[in-house]
Amino acid sequence: MSAPTERAIKWSYMDHWRSNGPSGPVDQWHSHRTMSTFLKQVKAVGFDAIDTFDFRIWQMYGDYGGPAKYQEMVTDHGLERIVNTFHAADYDVRSYAPHVPETHEAILEDFRVTMGRWSEIQLDNIIVMPATLYYDMEPVTEDKLKTSAELWNRVGEITAGYGVKLTCHHEFFCGIQSEADIETFYSHTDPAFVHLFLDTAQHCIASVDPVALYRRHAPRVSGFHFKDTHDVATGDDHRNRPDSEIMAPTTGKWFYEMGTPEGRVDFEAMMTAVRDEGYRGWISVEHDKANKQGGDYSEATAVSRWYAKNVLENIYR
Amino acid sequence: MTDIQWGYALNQWKPQFDDFVRREEHERALKTMSIAGFTGVELTAASGRWEPFGNPQQLEANFGSLAGFREFLTGCRVDAVPAWYYDPQQRFHETLTPALSPLVAEDVTGIVEKAEWFAAALAELGGTVLSVRAAPSGWDVPADAEDVVERLAACWDAVGRATARHGVRTALHVDFLSWLRRPGTLDQLLAATDPDLVGLVVDTGELTVAGIDPLALLQQHAGRVWHVQFKDAFAVDEAQEYLEPHSEYSVRVRGGAREVPRWFGEPGTDGGLVDFAGLTRALVEAGYTGWVVVESDQSPHPAQSALVAGYLLQRELRPLVEAAAAPAV
Repeated sequence: MSAPTERAIKWSYMDHWRSNGPSGPVDQWHSHRTMSTFLKQVKAVGFDAIDTFDFRIWQMYGDYGGPAKYQEMVTDHGLERIVNTFHAADYDVRSYAPHVPETHEAILEDFRVTMGRWSEIQLDNIIVMPATLYYDMEPVTEDKLKTSAELWNRVGEITAGYGVKLTCHHEFFCGIQSEADIETFYSHTDPAFVHLFLDTAQHCIASVDPVALYRRHAPRVSGFHFKDTHDVATGDDHRNRPDSEIMAPTTGKWFYEMGTPEGRVDFEAMMTAVRDEGYRGWISVEHDKANKQGGDYSEATAVSRWYAKNVLENIYR
Repeated sequence: MTDIQWGYALNQWKPQFDDFVRREEHERALKTMSIAGFTGVELTAASGRWEPFGNPQQLEANFGSLAGFREFLTGCRVDAVPAWYYDPQQRFHETLTPALSPLVAEDVTGIVEKAEWFAAALAELGGTVLSVRAAPSGWDVPADAEDVVERLAACWDAVGRATARHGVRTALHVDFLSWLRRPGTLDQLLAATDPDLVGLVVDTGELTVAGIDPLALLQQHAGRVWHVQFKDAFAVDEAQEYLEPHSEYSVRVRGGAREVPRWFGEPGTDGGLVDFAGLTRALVEAGYTGWVVVESDQSPHPAQSALVAGYLLQRELRPLVEAAAAPAV
């Protein structure tokens, strides 16, 4: 009997979930029971692991005894581990803004503390939005991009000390979202310390071809969010005050799971590129705000994983 | 060697008659049960243009042909329709068929015709069992009715003979409102029917609500069990409310005097009364070969229910079957 072939790709689920409680929707971190129901569903559809948010660490310490203990619960449900964490920073040009040098020390100290908190488990990536909201950074200049890049080079050095890659995720509403600005930004970063975490929907919304972007930067791509969109940003969508992500007048719901007929991302081309570039490792699946406008997290998770298994794995696995 | 296949019944996606009529809803539901580990979908007989899965004519109207429907299932990675549930009291607008009763001799021909209609379609859809509502509700059969078992047996033998011509077996489904809750009657009916023509469906949730131990029934009639439905139960009808007039609505839907909010649920959820691991072990020990169809029989969160059941299937139930099938070392 031959040994099973090792898979090149494993699938992780980025946790934006909302659970069903007796009085209405609840956060899945509501209780151990709701967390267990969430993990069961992620496992049932065939994901290998989960990704999470940095701000969950307080619940990990408070309700579970820390990241390692929480990860034990994850593994008890048949999942391998926590792969990535998303550092959802509360950007403010007065105190915490990558293009404002005076705030850099506060950001660096934040990462020194954050990495210490996570050090009891081994993450692959800590993911950041590398800029403030677009309207807080504009006009986006080369100087601001260079200043931001210099910050992330230093942050990346800190995270690398913990064996974790610092990787950038370009929301369509952040200051570094156009193709030209992304290219300029990376030209000033150190490939050893600053990586790219490619979110297929965010780039598509910003009119950046995620497949072409990936092919240009494949060596420094350290992970993916495979999620879809039905809409491309127009006009001031990317700089809508106070918010673009869920308050843009043009679009009530930007993000969708893979596998909907209206999806604009060419995932088959994306997976082909992933194969051609010889990527091996984790692909994270995401569909944040899936519950908006009548959506359902359980069904969205099932449909996206069905698509990964029955379409994308035929291209590369 | 035990060869059990695992299917799913989608009923929780259709809480009302005007729900779940669009193709994209069907596609998402089928993909959800498929990725959760289920390979067959069980259907329920129904009538009208808002019941695309209700009967062969509606399947043909919506998918061009039965082959077209099967192609749609295959596209969703669902292999077959293992069973169709048929209640003779279901009226069919398509054929102007009124409610029929297995207790009325004049109705038997019509029941046989309908059963063959479904059996022929099942044969094209990879199915093996026509699951029939074995008896009317308890309240609907007069207390002094005579020869009930004999009349039921005559009907179902005739149906079993007809579906067998299509390679489909007829199996008796007992729900918690059934007249067959009366002590001893189910045993009598099984004894009165031809064991080559008529088998039994073990629906764990219905039996549990009825106060009948599904494990004991399975063990007692192992050779007659031709189909299994795994659903959980959250309450038992201890007050015999199934005998109340029109219990189909007042008890099953409204919950009876206690207004039980949910009689049934998906295997794997908290608070259920059914021992699915024990039942799976019993099926293995009995050498059961066939489908086990998992269902919630309504749920406030259809996809969640399917995935929670899929987790139980993958992590607990299927390993029990696989362990039994593995060669001894």
